[in-house]
Amino acid sequence: MEKLRLSVSEFIALTNQTLDAAYPGIEVEGEVASFKVNQGKYVFFDLKDAEGTVGCFMTVWQLRVPIEDGMKVIVTATPKLTQWGKFSLTVQAVRPSGEGALKKSFELLKTALDKEGLFASERKRILPAMPQHVAVISSTQAAGYADFIKILNDRWGGLRVDVAHVQVQGQGAPEQIIAALNYFNQQETLPEVIAIIRGGGSADDLSTFNDEPLVRAIAASRIPVITGIGHEVDESLADMAADVRAATPSNAAQLIVPDRHERIRAARLQIVGLAARVERHVEEVEGELERLLVSAINQTERRHAELQQMVYNLRQTVAQLDPKVVLRRGYALVRGEQTVGATIEIEMSNAIMKAEVLTYDKK
Amino acid sequence: MTKNNATIQDKMETLRKLVAWFDSEDFSLEASVEKFKEAQALANQIEEELTDLKNDIAVVKQSFEA
Repeated sequence: MEKLRLSVSEFIALTNQTLDAAYPGIEVEGEVASFKVNQGKYVFFDLKDAEGTVGCFMTVWQLRVPIEDGMKVIVTATPKLTQWGKFSLTVQAVRPSGEGALKKSFELLKTALDKEGLFASERKRILPAMPQHVAVISSTQAAGYADFIKILNDRWGGLRVDVAHVQVQGQGAPEQIIAALNYFNQQETLPEVIAIIRGGGSADDLSTFNDEPLVRAIAASRIPVITGIGHEVDESLADMAADVRAATPSNAAQLIVPDRHERIRAARLQIVGLAARVERHVEEVEGELERLLVSAINQTERRHAELQQMVYNLRQTVAQLDPKVVLRRGYALVRGEQTVGATIEIEMSNAIMKAEVLTYDKK
Repeated sequence: MTKNNATIQDKMETLRKLVAWFDSEDFSLEASVEKFKEAQALANQIEEELTDLKNDIAVVKQSFEA
């Protein structure tokens, strides 16, 4: 068999073709070492385990979660021999592996985004009280989506609901959710609220919602965003960046629309309350009538007493004017002509006598 | 569909105003019977419409795969 003779460049190219064919997309798990970013664009690190080390290269914008030395990660990569003869993995995606690494990555990104103010309470917008147009981003095959729609339909009607069917876990999920967010934000008629819905899952499944570009896209949305992701205990960075965080998909539906059954009950109660109000008004009128009546009686009685007093006083006055009373006080009543020599009659309280006028002088 | 919703909202607002009238200075016993009947009919309408309303759910055609 004839030996293959190649130039160095040809050999490198052939090796890379062979590697591409042999490993069209592999995942390698290991611990990060010597992590560094050059010129703010290029990321270099080693991936190692107890017995080996392999160099890794990627761009900053491919790095969607923060990593640091010592973290266990899984990289999706293509093996490559560089033109300088160095073997490395060209990484397309990296994600933390294991609970410890996921938590570490979560905390690093949370701290950084919190510092930027992405989770600040003053950024949060209030959802419309009674929206008419709702956008949903979810996987239409997911149980969480079914729960959300069931509760939404049960609670309220007449809504326009536009659903973007996306992958909600695994590689590619964050990009799809971001694309759906952008789609709704670019519509001519904007929905009034966007709900990002996903049922429960493992920490790894839910790590989609700790993706930095996705968290930023949620924070940047023109339309208020509500998240209903996982269970109450699962809190993602997407939840923190959203305007409203619902504990579950069902809870998200509860927070978006009012409950028609409650509204109906409230309307009925209002009617029942009206009858009571009318009764109260009737009682008030009756009470007022009674008060007026009592007042009229009291007024009449008082006026009557005043009149009685007035009559008594007049009687007293008249009694004082009686001539007999005056005579009893020692006065005398004189009758007759006021001329000298005339006989006059003098009446006292107890006697009547006649007398002659001896003198008459005007005062 | 959203028109229905707006109508229900309008009716609920009208009902709220009608109820408020009973506590307002405009209240009169003479007018209260008519107002009560009006409120009752409105509450029944709201109940019927709310019960019958369905959501219009559509999955957007655009694919979001990269």
